[in-house]
Amino acid sequence: MRLVRYTYPTYRSLAPAPGGFSRSPWSGLETEIDRLFESALGDLTGPADTRFAVDLYEDKDNTYVRAELPGVSRDDINVEMVEDYLTITAARKTPAVAGKGEESFSFSRSVSIPEAVQADKVVAAYENGVLTVTLPKREEAKPKKITVAVK
Amino acid sequence: MSLMNTLIPSLSRSPARGHAKAAADLGPTVKPAYEIKANDDAFGLTVQLPGVAKDGLDLTAEEGLFRVVGRRAWKQPEGWTALYRESADAPFELVLEYDNAIDVEKIHAELTDGVLRVSLPKAEAIKPRKIAVN
Repeated sequence: MRLVRYTYPTYRSLAPAPGGFSRSPWSGLETEIDRLFESALGDLTGPADTRFAVDLYEDKDNTYVRAELPGVSRDDINVEMVEDYLTITAARKTPAVAGKGEESFSFSRSVSIPEAVQADKVVAAYENGVLTVTLPKREEAKPKKITVAVK
Repeated sequence: MSLMNTLIPSLSRSPARGHAKAAADLGPTVKPAYEIKANDDAFGLTVQLPGVAKDGLDLTAEEGLFRVVGRRAWKQPEGWTALYRESADAPFELVLEYDNAIDVEKIHAELTDGVLRVSLPKAEAIKPRKIAVN
């Protein structure tokens, strides 16, 4: 079986690259070589995949952050809110196998939250390996309808 | 010829058929991060499938191909606007060739917290065996 380290999908891998005119005939090859280097050098620097994908959503009342953190136990996840930065830290421990002790990988990511947040009402839930953090917006940040009387 | 095909199933497998069938149903898919460890008795496969629950998971082993398909359980609710996306909505698909190396009856898999751990016991023929010297 072949072992290929795969990075998370990026806009390059998901969307077909704009073809034709603007790209040189080598750019496909360049992208492949870049990716090869990334994966080769990335492995050298230590535990693989210490980055995780984060999505940011909002509706009129809340901002939501979804982080893909498979295989982490709830106690090992830390979510902190400082000013308008949300920091998610997680540690994944692989169970001790004969010959090796317990290995522990930790990852951390900070996301800036666009709207003012009610910091004490932030909740987080972890399901199927995805952490969803709900950040309620402050009243003044919620979209409001302003009726303008026209004279 | 048929002996060759039995020994090396990938020779008799037509390249388009298996992939085209699955690809047509799923659309674009994402290949998940995975890791394979082996010991004398089995291969241990760990696949990262964040957002996949048991009902979205399909494991098939046929024609020498072991296929893991994971559909994400979460749909973006109506009122939500995506401000920034790094993950994809596409289902996960992982295809591994095993060609007679695995005892398919004894495959054991579990899915917890978005991590799929599969134990694929080796077929008797490929287990290391000691040969006594007279």
